[in-house]
Amino acid sequence: MSEMTYLRAISDGLRTEMRDDERVLLMGEDIGVYGGAFKVTDGFIEEFGADRVMDTPLAESGIVGTAVGAAVVGLRPVCEMQFADFVSCGFDQIINVAGKMLYRQGLPVNITVRLPSGGGFSGGPFHSQNPEAWFMHSPGLKVVAPSTAEDAKGLIIASIRDPNPVIYMEHKNLYRRVKGEVPEGSYETPFTARVAREGDDLVVITYGAMVHTALEATADLDGASIMVLDLRSLVPLDEEAILGAVHHCSKVVVVDEANYTCAAGAQVSALIAERGFEDLDGPVLRVASPDVPIPFSPPLEAAVLPSVERVREACRQLLEY
Amino acid sequence: MPQMGVSVAEGTLVEWRKQRGDWVEADETICEISTDKIDTEVPSPASGRLIEVLVQVGVTVDVGTTLARIATDARPGEPHRSENDPPAAPPVAALATPPAASADDGPPAPAAAPAARGSAARRYSPVVQRIADEHNVDLDEVEGTGRDGRVQKKDVLSHVQARGGGRAPAPAQATEPTMHIESPYRPGAGAPSSGPYVAPEGRPLSRMRQSIGEHMKRSQETAATCTTWIEVDVSRIEIARRQLGITALPLIARCTIGALVEHPLLNAWLEGETHTVHEQVNLGIAVALGEDGLIVPVVRGAQDLSPEGLSRRIRDLARRARARQLSPDDVRGATFTITNPGQFGSMMATPVISQPQVAILDVEAIIKRPVVVTDTFGEDAIAIRPMVILGLSWDHRALDGAQAARFLATLKKRVESYEA
Repeated sequence: MSEMTYLRAISDGLRTEMRDDERVLLMGEDIGVYGGAFKVTDGFIEEFGADRVMDTPLAESGIVGTAVGAAVVGLRPVCEMQFADFVSCGFDQIINVAGKMLYRQGLPVNITVRLPSGGGFSGGPFHSQNPEAWFMHSPGLKVVAPSTAEDAKGLIIASIRDPNPVIYMEHKNLYRRVKGEVPEGSYETPFTARVAREGDDLVVITYGAMVHTALEATADLDGASIMVLDLRSLVPLDEEAILGAVHHCSKVVVVDEANYTCAAGAQVSALIAERGFEDLDGPVLRVASPDVPIPFSPPLEAAVLPSVERVREACRQLLEY
Repeated sequence: MPQMGVSVAEGTLVEWRKQRGDWVEADETICEISTDKIDTEVPSPASGRLIEVLVQVGVTVDVGTTLARIATDARPGEPHRSENDPPAAPPVAALATPPAASADDGPPAPAAAPAARGSAARRYSPVVQRIADEHNVDLDEVEGTGRDGRVQKKDVLSHVQARGGGRAPAPAQATEPTMHIESPYRPGAGAPSSGPYVAPEGRPLSRMRQSIGEHMKRSQETAATCTTWIEVDVSRIEIARRQLGITALPLIARCTIGALVEHPLLNAWLEGETHTVHEQVNLGIAVALGEDGLIVPVVRGAQDLSPEGLSRRIRDLARRARARQLSPDDVRGATFTITNPGQFGSMMATPVISQPQVAILDVEAIIKRPVVVTDTFGEDAIAIRPMVILGLSWDHRALDGAQAARFLATLKKRVESYEA
């Protein structure tokens, strides 16, 4: 065990897996000589060489497409999108090629696509998005979103080993803000939800950076006992954990940093409406970013992203219901 | 204390406009409050007598706090029963809660009492109802601590605990397979009925349908009906139609009349062995009367009318036909008939001749198609043109195919070379 940041934990996971498995290689813009825009792969090119830490052109479609080809012949590529926002340029390769290869041709596509996502640092509309729901909607892909350093390492290793294409959402605002004890060596975090805090009166269901917002918002809320469920994996969604938490608490607040409409939390709410109805003691409340681009302006961005105060207000409203 | 905006949590009572014992109408101002956002008047949620003031002027209370109670079963001008009989709790509408339906609990109407206290007046969340069912709890006995006195899960649970157990809660249901692996659809619920088909009751045919049917059947039994089609480019009609601001029908009718004048054998009657060839064209135009049927009013002396004149006459006849204002003369004496059901997009038909006429022209939908056209240098090219199929049903007793075809060729030439 050693304490490290969320960002170092991702690096540690990548390095561990690259040392253990020579089929693993990295591809991305400026990830080699420069060490990556956020320095996740700092020092990797010296250790593993330019063949396994490939600096690519500014062409996300090419990065993912090449990775799909490499995976089909047996390698395990990990692609870095410099910002999650730019993944839209690689969309066709992910959705139509990687996601459907096994279905169409019986060939597993063992790729991992890392998406540095999320806002909270005045990155503006092109550097702050949370596009996980785009991929949740498309069959054939898995989508994970760690919130802690320990899970960041365990999930990157599990993603690399999973034979499916995995979209790995890493939240930029957690990179250096979140620290935690991380086990040494190799381990996998399962694609299931984690109870971030036990509680009885209400459950906040969320993932990624919003786990920390939810924990802060509900740490001391009029003495109420509030559970926080960290989904960790969005596809597959841990339906049993969600329904179990709903059964136990009966009041649910679902929090997304992503835009409101069709967000991951919308799927969670729909699941609860369909299969948790008889456990509900109030409406399922959602807190998310409104359906607008993320503003540059710090006060505007703070107004758009779900805040501790908004989560607290929603919980209070539901507790009183 | 009403909620005055999402972020407002409390309010201060500024003034009571009504005092204890006063009669108050629904929506009449009962007091004034002040919050950190606004100062406002509070309307009464119900009509009745103010029987209890719970918050005094100057006191600040949380949103949702009951400010006063109003007896809703009081009558204006009468002392309330509760004033004589203090221990009996009167039905009350609490201010700052939605007015609840309330009935008299007194002895004269014992049957009404359970209904008033029953579930109809209160609503329960799914989990509360489930727990109540599992433990045989009468929810009316449970005191609610939620908003507006709503019974929460914890209320029913503590009620069960206080009562001492009851039936043990049912074990968690077995989870169903997840949506993205298997559809939750289960066949059987909405399966089509397998019983014998029961037809609805029949009704007699309308007078108009009987008359149309009799006429059509007689025509088919009488005439030796053949149908000939020709495809026509209506580019010029379309241009003229736009210039004149009329529909294509009067323009095609105008061309048809010209062709009839050239080929009078088609502008004729055949009655038994009597063959009458007309010089004057009395043009019948089929007009649909919605679901009821159709009628064929006649434009007399149509050969003397311009397209605009034809358009006006057709419009007038159609209007009067739909208003059921045609005189018998308006529907008699047609020498040739045009029918145009093409407005619905159909392409071809075999119309039935209206006796004793010898032919009828069917105008179908104008549809843009790729066609081969020849330019002024004799070069062929494919062009997009508005095309229509004209169908002529004719009586083989009165004429032969060649005459019908010649008539259609003349009509085609007139339509395709039309000059406004």
